[in-house]
Amino acid sequence: MNWLNQHLQAIKLVLSRMDSNKLSTFMISLVIAVAMAIPGVFYLGVEHLSKLSNHMQNETEISLFVKLDEPASTLTAIDAALKSNPAIQTYTLATKAEAWEDLKAKAASSKINSEVQNLEQNPLPDAFFIQAKSADAAALATLRDELQALPGVEQALLNAEWAKRLSSILALGTKIIAFIAALLALALLVIIGNTVRMQILTQKDEIVVSKLIGATTNFIRTPFLYAGIVYGLFGGLLAMAMLMFIVQLYNQSVAQLSQLYSNDFSLAWFNPPLYLGIILLSIFIGWLGSFLSVSRAIAAIKID
Amino acid sequence: MIKFDHVTKRYPGSNEALSQVSFDIESGELVFVTGHSGAGKSTLLKLIAAIERPTSGTVLIANQNISQLKAAAIPYMRRRFGLIFQDHKLLYDRNCFENVILPLHINGITGLDAAKRVRAALDKVGLLHKEKAMPITLSGGEQQRLAIARAVVSRPSILIADEPTGNLDSSYAADIMGIFQDFNQVGVTVIVATHDARGMSATQNRVLHLDHGRLTVSNSAESVNA
Repeated sequence: MNWLNQHLQAIKLVLSRMDSNKLSTFMISLVIAVAMAIPGVFYLGVEHLSKLSNHMQNETEISLFVKLDEPASTLTAIDAALKSNPAIQTYTLATKAEAWEDLKAKAASSKINSEVQNLEQNPLPDAFFIQAKSADAAALATLRDELQALPGVEQALLNAEWAKRLSSILALGTKIIAFIAALLALALLVIIGNTVRMQILTQKDEIVVSKLIGATTNFIRTPFLYAGIVYGLFGGLLAMAMLMFIVQLYNQSVAQLSQLYSNDFSLAWFNPPLYLGIILLSIFIGWLGSFLSVSRAIAAIKID
Repeated sequence: MIKFDHVTKRYPGSNEALSQVSFDIESGELVFVTGHSGAGKSTLLKLIAAIERPTSGTVLIANQNISQLKAAAIPYMRRRFGLIFQDHKLLYDRNCFENVILPLHINGITGLDAAKRVRAALDKVGLLHKEKAMPITLSGGEQQRLAIARAVVSRPSILIADEPTGNLDSSYAADIMGIFQDFNQVGVTVIVATHDARGMSATQNRVLHLDHGRLTVSNSAESVNA
């Protein structure tokens, strides 16, 4: 009971001190919030892209481009080979003439690539678009190699490959975020430690008197530890508000894009695990920052 | 209650503040420590309150050797004492009531019980009507009485006052000494350091007189003058 009472007293004291120093309390919370929100934004972005690339990695399409200037018999031979291949679900042929007309039509409607109209010769190859039966990466690669070996094939492309490259770049991005977050956490420790040390100096008289009348170090330290915790809590909540605001802005600007791709690009407005993580982490950093500085600062105050 | 045995205290880079001081103070005594400024009065009180440790010799408080106390045990030792300083050491960012309640909070006493004890202590020093006042608005004598209220609110068995009347005129000084005598009468051990004989003249109390760190007069038999 006594123990609980002491903690309640300490929290009351801290809150009343913060109430009389609203501006500086807000400032330190803002510093914490910004430092927490920056890696938070990066994290949201990377997570979002990862989701998209994971989705694309499940695609089983292989594009097969035929060498230019091959006779029509080559096309027939490839067509026969595809038909007899048991690993293939379906395939379609886009002849170079079709592709050429398609391109010219697109160029005319968009009026951007008028250069296309000036080309004298069709630069496009005949192409087969193949859906494999298996989505397994190894099976797809085998099939791709098999198709590449067919006579007259210029290139067999696995569409999932670039998605894989993207996902490995994203994995690197995650590591960089972790690194930035660690640096920011270190900076926060120093900032919070310093803020608490300054507070200890302004409360020097009280600490001296408390020591003289028999206060334990724990009794003196507790309010400052709570100050760190409360700063962390305020900073974490503020960071959450910032992230929600940023997600909202993002969602508004991609709404149109989503419609065009008939895909959902929007981010979840409320992300409990992320926000909870940010708040708990900033509380922990607040506590640790004040813990690291408080014992030394209190010991440095001499009584006499 | 308090026993000094050949206690020497030397601060780094200075002469001995106390040399070979030995005396006993029994429970319930009222003792004056006298001497000119720099004679070692404050050092003696700091040794009793475990604020300083002796360079040599032993200081026993209630049979505990303060040199051998662990740092964690010192706060509990200090709670036996009520300390009163010449400069009051009041906290000017809070009112009288909140100043006096601080030792109770340190002892883990809160709520109604604490408020009752604070008012009793303020009443004893005649400041009950000023509990909401800020210390800065009080006169010097009132501030000293507030400091006494804070020292006695946790009912310590030993009151230690360092020049409690140093800044006060004689009527206030007599007033403060009267308060100490009242506490002594209910069994509290009182030790008062003073260079000021005004408060003592009316009473026949024990005097420890220090001269350059040596105990020269002690009107008690067991004292040793080395």
